[in-house]
Amino acid sequence: MLFWVIAAILTLGASLAVLLPLTGGMKVASSAGDHDLEVYRDQLSELDRDMARGLIQPGEADEARAEIGRRILRLGATAQPDAAILKPARSAKWVASIAVLAVPLLSWGIYGMLGSPDLPSQPLAERLAKNPADASVDELVARAEAHLAANPSDGKGWDVLAPIYLRLQRFPDAVTAYRNAIRLDGDSAVRQSGLGEAIASAAGGIVSADAQKAFEAALKLDPANAKANFYLAVGLAQEGKKADAVAAWQKMLGQLAPDSPWRSAVRQALAEAGGPAVPDAAPANGPDAQQVEAAQQMSPQDRQAMIETMVAGLDDKLKQNPRDEEGWMRLIRSYVVLGKADKARDALGRAVAAFGADSEQAKKFTAFAASLGVTATE
Amino acid sequence: MVETGHFALVLAFALSLVQMLVPLVGARTGNQRLMAVGGPVTVTGFALTALSFAALASAYAGSDFSVASVWENSHSLQPMIYKITGTWGNHEGSMLLWVLILTFFGALVAVFGNNLPATLKANVLAVQGMIGAAFFLFILATSNPFIRLNPAPIEGRDLNPILQDLGLAIHPPMLYLGYVGFSICFSFSVAALIEGRIDASWARWVRPWTLVAWMFLTGGIAMGSYWAYYELGWGGFWFWDPVENASFMPWLAGTALLHSAIVMEKRSTLKIWTLLLAILTFSLSLLGTFLVRSGVLTSVHAFATDPARGVFILCILTLFIGGSLALFALRASRLTAGGLFHPISREGALVLNNLFLTTATATVLVGTLYPMALEALTGGKISVGAPFFDLTFGPLMLPLLAIVPFGPLLAWKRGDVIAASQRLMAAFALAITAMLVTGLFIDGASVFAALGVGLAVWLVVGALTDLAVKSGFGAVPPAAMLRRFAGLPRSVFGTALAHLGLGLTLLGIVGTLCFGTEKILSMHPGETVELSGHTLRFEGLSPRKGPNFTEDRGRFLLMGADGNADGMITSAKRFYPVRQTVTTESGIRTLGLSQLYLSLGDENNDGSVVVRLWWKPLVTLIWGGGLVMMAGAAMSLLDRRLRVGAPAKRRKAAAALASPT
Amino acid sequence: MTRRQKRMSVILAGLAFLGAAAGLTFYALGQKASYFYMPADLATASVPPGQRIRLGGLVEKGTIMRGQGATVAFSVTDKQKSVKVTYTGILPDLFREEQGVITEGAFGPDGVFVADSVLAKHDERYMPKEVADGLKAKGVWQESTN
Repeated sequence: MLFWVIAAILTLGASLAVLLPLTGGMKVASSAGDHDLEVYRDQLSELDRDMARGLIQPGEADEARAEIGRRILRLGATAQPDAAILKPARSAKWVASIAVLAVPLLSWGIYGMLGSPDLPSQPLAERLAKNPADASVDELVARAEAHLAANPSDGKGWDVLAPIYLRLQRFPDAVTAYRNAIRLDGDSAVRQSGLGEAIASAAGGIVSADAQKAFEAALKLDPANAKANFYLAVGLAQEGKKADAVAAWQKMLGQLAPDSPWRSAVRQALAEAGGPAVPDAAPANGPDAQQVEAAQQMSPQDRQAMIETMVAGLDDKLKQNPRDEEGWMRLIRSYVVLGKADKARDALGRAVAAFGADSEQAKKFTAFAASLGVTATE
Repeated sequence: MVETGHFALVLAFALSLVQMLVPLVGARTGNQRLMAVGGPVTVTGFALTALSFAALASAYAGSDFSVASVWENSHSLQPMIYKITGTWGNHEGSMLLWVLILTFFGALVAVFGNNLPATLKANVLAVQGMIGAAFFLFILATSNPFIRLNPAPIEGRDLNPILQDLGLAIHPPMLYLGYVGFSICFSFSVAALIEGRIDASWARWVRPWTLVAWMFLTGGIAMGSYWAYYELGWGGFWFWDPVENASFMPWLAGTALLHSAIVMEKRSTLKIWTLLLAILTFSLSLLGTFLVRSGVLTSVHAFATDPARGVFILCILTLFIGGSLALFALRASRLTAGGLFHPISREGALVLNNLFLTTATATVLVGTLYPMALEALTGGKISVGAPFFDLTFGPLMLPLLAIVPFGPLLAWKRGDVIAASQRLMAAFALAITAMLVTGLFIDGASVFAALGVGLAVWLVVGALTDLAVKSGFGAVPPAAMLRRFAGLPRSVFGTALAHLGLGLTLLGIVGTLCFGTEKILSMHPGETVELSGHTLRFEGLSPRKGPNFTEDRGRFLLMGADGNADGMITSAKRFYPVRQTVTTESGIRTLGLSQLYLSLGDENNDGSVVVRLWWKPLVTLIWGGGLVMMAGAAMSLLDRRLRVGAPAKRRKAAAALASPT
Repeated sequence: MTRRQKRMSVILAGLAFLGAAAGLTFYALGQKASYFYMPADLATASVPPGQRIRLGGLVEKGTIMRGQGATVAFSVTDKQKSVKVTYTGILPDLFREEQGVITEGAFGPDGVFVADSVLAKHDERYMPKEVADGLKAKGVWQESTN
């Protein structure tokens, strides 16, 4: 709003600059001859000054004076009756009105095409000073960066920032942040494995020697560190030692806590590595090791029943806590795997409703379901 | 605020259209009201452009990354001074600065031009309006600095590190003040051609503008040269780089204009030539803008590599140069020729000056454009560098410099060379002495060095001789002489200072080129090196963290003659992480008028570091001379002759009574 | 001499001066301009030792060798041919393997190019224009799209 007021004032000022002289009183212009005469007079007096100072010889001065005199005479001879004052022609009025109108029309027209009037100025300091709740992730990160630039030895700060960088896919920054955190706050399995992941991600997923070193350091501190175990196995697979990798992953599956988020990643890796198929319908609280073992020993019918129980559990959980994006997707997939297309469709509908039909997540759900062959309507 | 700036820019464009048309129509139809529009519109246009520039500068200062140009050329960790100078350290911002200066000069004419004949003023402002409109359109269409980003990025991409320097704060604005200052001379010329007559006050009006433009251009070139000298780390002060040539050509032509305008003002002759020269000078300024801004050249300065921009500026260039020259061809015959003069006279000397300077401009133009023309026509690639210019520009400058001291001592109309020579006997004797002393007593001095030193002394003493003669040295008693000295017109001082500055610059160039020494070696910490009597000890490298860079600083201890420490010189390799760029910060120590210059190279595996060092005798005179030339121009500007009186009020009033309105 | 003759002689002198200057300029262009070559061009063009030229291309990977003091040897390549270059002095800040470079100098009698100046690109987004054009013409290099 303020902008439009300023723009209007500026336009008014600019238009007045055109309008006022056009409506002002006619000033009488002195003819060009008068101006010339003034110059010649000045030249004569300058000649006198130079002579008084002895800068020129009297002979030269006389000659110069004669020459200026001739110019003045010539001026008198060519002077014409003043033609400068004419009646304002009709065309002049046209020109004047077009000029006055052109300023607001052109400026608002061109600005309308080029400008972004709704976009406020966003000086960085102001953006960083506003309420964190309104700030975007980028702004929060920038704030943290500004803080760390001022206090580069704040290890905790680096520790907080490093995984965020990782998630934002700013891998080189994540590497630096992890290294700083380790340097300042000491080693920990989480930091070392994070560092390894950052290095590997920066290299496009290749577990390099550097990354390997970091994961090994993490395992030394915590032999059960899932991330380090997982990536080391990935490294083995990349080196071509598929069998070793599969063995490592399977060992992991045995050790992982039942609700560990790493399970699905390990299963996927196993699937890709061509290992024994593992049921993928992992619910939010996935089956623990005993459950899985039990399931393997069960008859197919029993296994099916057990899985259905678990899926139902997930379904219940989502009813209570519907804002679980991952959970919804797992549920939809589970129903598809179980061959219950109508239940899957129903789950999709509820998932979309939970986040709002226009939300980003709703689109994601629909696309995800479509990839499994489920559509919201028949 | 940003959008206000954008809107103000658009509004200024609209006003420039009014400014180019309405006063022109007014002048043609003799309509006072239409002509009167020119002044207020010009001043308002300037105010709006200034507002727009201020908005952009504040966006840069506040790191408003929602502005695309800020995002591309700034960084939140940059020191505040470089945030602000970054406003014009990029294509878009520098073009906005260009039009800001253009409208500023236009506004000056509008405000202080009340003593101009009304039609002349109207036409001048209209031509200024045309230039302004063309460049406003260029900015809005191809180089809009106010393009916004939504959502705004949180961090910028940093200013090119070699532009993060104080030299950048001063160099482009000065250069633009020079380039654009000549636009006023251009507008006066075109206005005179449109009217078909040249007023007697024309030369008096054009001369101060030429002086202002020339003064700033001199400063801009000197500053640019010094910036390249210390920032690029190559120790050179002039590379005959096309971008440097682009600023040097208007300077040469402007110097010629400065001199021919004197003749025109004093003797009402050389009118047509002066007009042409004014057109050519600004055309060369436009050419310079084109070369630098279009990306035709690849160099530090080429921010823009967008072909649309190049084509647009080329159109502006063709329009203005072609248009004004065509107008010149049509109208020049209408203008009356002026008084006659003998070849040996002040006028004759100034014509000679013009002949040499314009020819020198032409050689630089050929050397700059030939490679481009050749590439466009045959695809062959050549580079024209120092060897070419030494062979062509040098021989033109030597005789010109040799005759400089004669000019001011010759009388108008018919001069006496013998009398002038007699007065210059002392200067001549000193110059010969300097030449002999240089040639005989300084080891390794070449003939060229001796000649150069002699010529420089000749220029300096010649300039002082001019002052001495004009204050009646030896002819009147000392007290009277002092009085006459103090009473000399300021323009006499201006001439003497400018010529003296030229001599100093020459002395600096000769000193550096002929007596400078240089060494390249690799040094381990603790080792010492000796260069031209100065001993330096390498103390080692140490890392340091700057606001937006990290650097490895090499410290060198300068040892005095007695073996004691005489201060530290540091040179550094800087790394700017945002642009992944390394720059070299040279270490410079000024000793008297000379400098010890060292720059750090790569680190070898064995811990030694490559170091290049120069001893540059009298090098500061190169730029010091430029400052003296600027002082000369400033002095000339103070001359009362340039304050043209308006027709007396009394006469105006009488005319008002007499005319039936 | 009449006034007319005087004027004519002044004009003639001026023209003679301009003619001399023009002649000098074109002589200098022929003699002092240095041509730009890429390594592959040198196979067809015969460049005698001692003639100043500009040689441009990419710094070949793994060829940078630092010798005694400040002398550096490296090869300049256009991916078809490469040329050995020696240079004594400080390399520009952006001199790196696989990056565009322009060297100026002359061939020594042994076929090694002795450069007295080395120019590298000024920033990440900039490749020396001659080198970029040359490489594009040879189809080796494509403009990055960022």
